[in-house]
Amino acid sequence: MAQDTGKARNILVTGATDGIGFLLAKSYASRGHRVLATGRQTLSDDAAYFGLPNITYVTADQAFPAQAAHAVDAAMERLGFEGLDLAILNAGVGWTGDPAAEPAEQIATQIDVNLSAPVMISATIAPLLFARQGQLVLIGSTAAKGQARFATYAATKAGLAGFARSLREEWQGRAHVQIIHPGPTRTAMHTKAGLNLGLARMMFMSPKRASKAIQKSVRNHERQRKLSWFYGLRALFSRAGEGRL
Amino acid sequence: MKALITGAANGLGRALLEQLLDDGHEVIAVDIMTEDLDRLAVQSRGACRVVMADMANVTSIERCLRSLREDKLDLVILNAGISATGKFEEIPLGAYERLIHINLTAPLTMAAGLVGQGLMQRKGRIVFVSSLSHVVGYPGASVYAATKDAIAIYARSIAKPFRKSGVGVTTVFPGPIRTEHAQRHAPKGAKENKRMEPKELARMILKAAKRGKKELYPGSAAGMARLAGYLFPNFMTRMMRRIIFDKLDGNTY
Ligand SMILES: NC(=O)c1ccc[n+]([C@@H]2O[C@H](COP(=O)([O-])OP(=O)(O)OC[C@H]3O[C@@H](n4cnc5c(N)ncnc54)[C@H](OP(=O)(O)O)[C@@H]3O)[C@@H](O)[C@H]2O)c1
Repeated sequence: MAQDTGKARNILVTGATDGIGFLLAKSYASRGHRVLATGRQTLSDDAAYFGLPNITYVTADQAFPAQAAHAVDAAMERLGFEGLDLAILNAGVGWTGDPAAEPAEQIATQIDVNLSAPVMISATIAPLLFARQGQLVLIGSTAAKGQARFATYAATKAGLAGFARSLREEWQGRAHVQIIHPGPTRTAMHTKAGLNLGLARMMFMSPKRASKAIQKSVRNHERQRKLSWFYGLRALFSRAGEGRL
Repeated sequence: MKALITGAANGLGRALLEQLLDDGHEVIAVDIMTEDLDRLAVQSRGACRVVMADMANVTSIERCLRSLREDKLDLVILNAGISATGKFEEIPLGAYERLIHINLTAPLTMAAGLVGQGLMQRKGRIVFVSSLSHVVGYPGASVYAATKDAIAIYARSIAKPFRKSGVGVTTVFPGPIRTEHAQRHAPKGAKENKRMEPKELARMILKAAKRGKKELYPGSAAGMARLAGYLFPNFMTRMMRRIIFDKLDGNTY
């Protein structure tokens, strides 16, 4: 997606009921874009939940990857999307603990939600992305390098990174593929994953900062970007150097 | 020594199985097609035990783990794997589901189950089979590549916590192997003699496991690809696209 030139674009954000995805969806919608937001929950009143009329919500539970992909596809057809300018595949879950004690269903769920569903959604939306030379943005994690107490989570994010690497080459000239790896961010994700961080959370990036950094990376068509917790600091310095934030 | 191999009926798994039996070890051979293995088990006079399990199915994997209740394993090689090659968006979703289950969910569930349920011997070792695509990318098989990257990072993540149970971890990054799998997925005209013999690779893997190596890039070509992928990651993936993706005709899954 080029600069926000005022033209309304079609945007998909998965996992938009909380955290970074929620902020991304609201931020794009508040600038007049048409946003399709997804999540695992059923919302009784999406307009009230997001507070903006141009966000449409559809339930697409990624624990059932093929069903989620079909739900997204059907929703885009209902909305009359003839193309997709930007898809941010952000939904994700984690489990933390000793990998030898990780239950089979936790392994399966993380792989389904974090890897299989993004793969299947990408395949399903491909024609719409090609129609606009759109951008496919995958949300990874700095944990993709490997992490002892987030072993399956780290594996799924490394899988996404590898998927992005090869698909980017395949899709060259048809759609742009990028991966963004947030560092620790102050959302509810860790609590949902069973990790109580206490004061350490204070060191984390704010979700707002993460959302802004992601949008910047999207604007710049970066093929790969890591958002570290000192992003804010670095951004300040790089602003002095590059004249932009 | 008692060993377990998944995907033991064909290709690399079969070569590993035969090598281990030749060396006088006890082997549990896991696969979905077991007719051929049953014959081999009879010939082995008790050294080889066959367990039928579908690695695409978590219930089947859990049943397989339960059947190992009485065992203490010294060596486990999580070898079973499939591929899907072609244009990413043209391959049906069901093929991806199966690919990810067999290549990723299965080895993770097996590894966690084996160590968590105390089925590994102290000083035992688990071997994961990733791919050379981990260092160079693989346009034309982006989901296969994703599962192999995920395996490599899982193996790296669990190395330390598994050491507490005395279990070591080895990851293998093989390039093309001369098996039916490679035959099916390679572009037309690809040279067969550049592929590694399963027997030779099996020997290298068993040696690396014995020595407690963390990683194995088997052969000099794999070593060079690793270096090139490290130094020029994007260039190498582009090369892979030219060598493989641009030459694929049709989708295979
Ligand atoms: N927070 C961090 O430190 C951090 C670091 C690196 C990467 N990330 C990645 O950033 C992304 C966003 O994370 P976040 O921090 O914003 O977490 P979050 O606040 O928990 O938000 C995750 C979103 O994904 C949704 N989701 C969970 N399971 C789903 C399913 N089965 N189907 C559909 N949607 C599902 C959640 O729904 P509910 O509202 O129902 O929970 C929520 O909307 C994730 O991919 C995460 O892995 C986060």
